[in-house]
Amino acid sequence: MGESVASLAGRGRTMDFALIGHQESWRAAANVLAVLRGRERTPLPDDEIRDILPWIPPRAVCHVEVGSVFNRTIGNRTIGDAKARGVYIDSFIPPDRLEAAYVHENIARVRAAAACAIKAGAKIVSLGGFSSILIEGNFDQLPERRDKDTVFTTGNTLTVAFIVQGIKKMCEMEGRNLRRSTLLIVGATGDVGSGCARCLAPLVKRVLLSARNVERLRRLAAELQADRVQVEIATDLLENDGQQFSSEADVVICAASLASPSLLLGRVAPDAIVCDAGYPKNLSPSAQMLGAKIFFGGLGQVTGGLRFTPDFHGILNRHPFPDVVHGCLLEGMALALEGRFEPFSHGRGFITPERVEEIEKIAARHGIYLAPLYNAEGPVEDGFHCQKEWSSAGTPPSEAWTGYPPASGVP
Amino acid sequence: METLVGLNCSAVECTSLSPSAPIWQDVLAQAMTGELIAAMNYTSLSEICADPEEVADALEHAGIERGHAARFAAEGRKIGVDVDNNVAGKHWKRLREAFLRCIAERDFIGCLIVQEIMLESFAVASYARVGKVAPGSLGKTFAAIAAEEEEHVDHAMAILRAERALDAQRFDEKVYGLHLEVMTRLAKMLAKECKDGHCEVCHANCVKPSLFDVSLSAAELRGASLQQYLKTLDMLGIPGEVTLAWVSQLPV
Repeated sequence: MGESVASLAGRGRTMDFALIGHQESWRAAANVLAVLRGRERTPLPDDEIRDILPWIPPRAVCHVEVGSVFNRTIGNRTIGDAKARGVYIDSFIPPDRLEAAYVHENIARVRAAAACAIKAGAKIVSLGGFSSILIEGNFDQLPERRDKDTVFTTGNTLTVAFIVQGIKKMCEMEGRNLRRSTLLIVGATGDVGSGCARCLAPLVKRVLLSARNVERLRRLAAELQADRVQVEIATDLLENDGQQFSSEADVVICAASLASPSLLLGRVAPDAIVCDAGYPKNLSPSAQMLGAKIFFGGLGQVTGGLRFTPDFHGILNRHPFPDVVHGCLLEGMALALEGRFEPFSHGRGFITPERVEEIEKIAARHGIYLAPLYNAEGPVEDGFHCQKEWSSAGTPPSEAWTGYPPASGVP
Repeated sequence: METLVGLNCSAVECTSLSPSAPIWQDVLAQAMTGELIAAMNYTSLSEICADPEEVADALEHAGIERGHAARFAAEGRKIGVDVDNNVAGKHWKRLREAFLRCIAERDFIGCLIVQEIMLESFAVASYARVGKVAPGSLGKTFAAIAAEEEEHVDHAMAILRAERALDAQRFDEKVYGLHLEVMTRLAKMLAKECKDGHCEVCHANCVKPSLFDVSLSAAELRGASLQQYLKTLDMLGIPGEVTLAWVSQLPV
């Protein structure tokens, strides 16, 4: 077993990082419980899972080991195969309660999960998915830390990095010129949305910002306009029968989940590039926008090795490619590998292109890159790229990927 | 098996006009039986304690549990029902036998794990839930007894934490062994439906399907009990990922 970069840096403790997450669907929750229950036992029926899961207190589910491709030289010795060790903590937010009505209950769960991370002695904690959305504006609600030995990051900066990289890659694949594009960001005033706006606004012709809070929208618009960016704002995609923006968008980032994919109809070009970076991801290529090029954004891939104990491979990271993880969780892993235990993404609205570039470099140094692009129907990259990924995974896509969200069974 | 509160199983009647009285009658019967099992367990525990202070403590606890049983019986009378108990009922008998095996081995720590960690988790959580929805003094009694039982758990935790500090692996293996026996039985008892037939405590048909009529459910009582059990194991210091797997493997 290789040594962890953190311990090489002389900061040795057993737990470099903790990842706080939750399951996005009942099917995913069923898969986690099935692993814990063991193959020899009959899987729990769906109704029992729905009854039991809400009662499970937040707790560690498995240990995680992430490898780096970075070779570090200490003195005259080159040390490769560095690893960081951590733990995945599930907040066990029930998948049907990932909404505003349960915000207080969910914050309490994330707090309890954070307390587990502190107790485990994690040096850096990444808040995954909905957890980071809940906490980005409520950092003061995290539990007290002993001597500040544990730091928290929302992981949003690396998420933004992978969304921006994904947009650029998709434009390249589709032969689009980003400079001539009109970019629509839904959920523009959130931490991820505003970070994407700051990174991409200088690269496009016009930016359309949509969010519920008009004051925040105006502030962000003013900030971008100061850099001579053409900006329009709207608080509701349905407002004025969809005519509030002066033009259709041909590049879209959904940084917030849409109540319905049909909300985009009439607001975007028929062949728009759409990045679903919301939580949960709910845009599908078959849902009313047949010509749109939809992909799931904010995902990265570990190339230095990723191990779960017990083995939750393909269960906790259920993607059509190996070792793909959400950017928010990867940020904590990358910082742990780097030995930088700091709250890199903290609060809301502080993500700048410079910080994005910095975290991109850290991640890339340890072999963490943008994941191959895919959507609910599978990979969207050309056959050559995908085939290459599948062969390296050793698992045909039909076995590794059953669609997301699941096509049948538990919704 | 001895019956510590003199009620005749066959003569149980419900004289209350309240439609929910028969439901509370069965809820009280389960609670009372659990308290009597606890009283018997503490009495047995006193027989293997070497320290006179521990003997006194165990007997005091037995008395407290008998007092709880009597309070449940009294609550039944207030709503016009006789509350039966059956410590020889299918599940409770097995739970008592598990405890007696620890007694036979003079395993003081094992006894505490079964009674304080497993059975009391169930009692504290389920009484607290009942306490929230039961009307009047019935609800207050359940809530008060839940709080008193929680104090019992606190008392035992210090002893058990000290024991785990000596050899965590050995301690955790012991808890797991008892978990397989006791919690598997409790899980069957707490299942949403009694698939193995009548529990021999409810006075007529199984009360579980009727719990909705008093704003309770079998699923809720099971969930709360397992949550309390997991939290108690957390307080002992057993890793959360380990106990999660234990609980995930229980029958439903």
